[in-house]
Amino acid sequence: MIDIRELGTLQLDALREVANIGAGHAATALSQLTRQRIMLNVPQIRVVRLEEVAELTGVPDEAVAAVVMQVLGDLTGRAVQVFPGSTAQWIAEALLNRQGISFPDGFGEMEQSALKEAANILGAAYLSALSDFLGLLVLTSVPSLALDMAAAALTSGYLATGQLDEYVFCIETLFRVDELRNPLHAHFLLLPDSPSLEVILRSVRMA
Amino acid sequence: MSRYRFGPGEIPVMVKVGDLKVGTAGSTLLTLGLGSCVAVALYDAIRKIGGLAHVLLPDPSHARSPGPPGRFASSAVDALLTMMIAEGADRSRIFARIAGGASMFENLAAAGNASLGARNVAAVKESLERARIPLRAQDVGGGFGRSVYFRLSDGRLLIRSIRRDDVIL
Repeated sequence: MIDIRELGTLQLDALREVANIGAGHAATALSQLTRQRIMLNVPQIRVVRLEEVAELTGVPDEAVAAVVMQVLGDLTGRAVQVFPGSTAQWIAEALLNRQGISFPDGFGEMEQSALKEAANILGAAYLSALSDFLGLLVLTSVPSLALDMAAAALTSGYLATGQLDEYVFCIETLFRVDELRNPLHAHFLLLPDSPSLEVILRSVRMA
Repeated sequence: MSRYRFGPGEIPVMVKVGDLKVGTAGSTLLTLGLGSCVAVALYDAIRKIGGLAHVLLPDPSHARSPGPPGRFASSAVDALLTMMIAEGADRSRIFARIAGGASMFENLAAAGNASLGARNVAAVKESLERARIPLRAQDVGGGFGRSVYFRLSDGRLLIRSIRRDDVIL
């Protein structure tokens, strides 16, 4: 049985570099879309027990935006992105060029669509960086969004296919925007299926 | 959604994802953010002994390792019963209420399959039947998350959601 905990600091650092490359691409795309200078970086990658994921993003019953994508191609699994209310609000306002969108009540079709677009850009950027690093084809499904309690959205997102994996990769993303004093947070969770996890582990061991 | 306010002398006992807890009058068992998961609440109203589980999956065949009994519908009911009887509950008086089993991401369920939430609810009901525990009330399904507050002094089961009024079972 392969275990994600086999990863040492060195390997996690290698994956963090890959994630930072992805974050760089996503920042370029988001900056162009919003006409603002956005910097993204990945302060850390953690390997987290599933049961702890809900607490990692804060209060389990706090309203968040969660976007789930299926990962397809040579690597398979799921990717779940979690945006706290403040981040979701800023993304919707920046992409729609409008102020005063409240979260979650002010999120109608347009706002949800803007958020899904941003999640799509971020998710695709992370996964294409990983795909380049591994030399494998990685694709994503259309994103699916829930605005609800963090724990409810997370557990349902990572269990959507009815499989319980023990550990997930958690990539924390910080958004730095000129107009905001404090960075905004988001989490990108990658849950590779067993064979895909093995591929990732094998590659980083050689890195 | 306003914060739940615990009454004077009400002791909150948190049941985490995949976990289960048993308590007596004075405690309020709570579990936060159920999506496709199901909360199983068992109660002996005379002794005021209750148990709450936060079930993740129908059975261990879906997991890489078996894990604690609270994770699965197939083991959570029996584990709760054993703990409650050890506390002094009378099995013949114990009844069940359940909440959760939502489908948060509609388009993610594999085509033709019931959603995980629906399968969790079915598996919990099956376990209750097998244990001959009557199911008194339920608040299941839908596309939204729920938090459950189970006050053991009077058995009140309060269910909160973000965009829905509180429900009491």
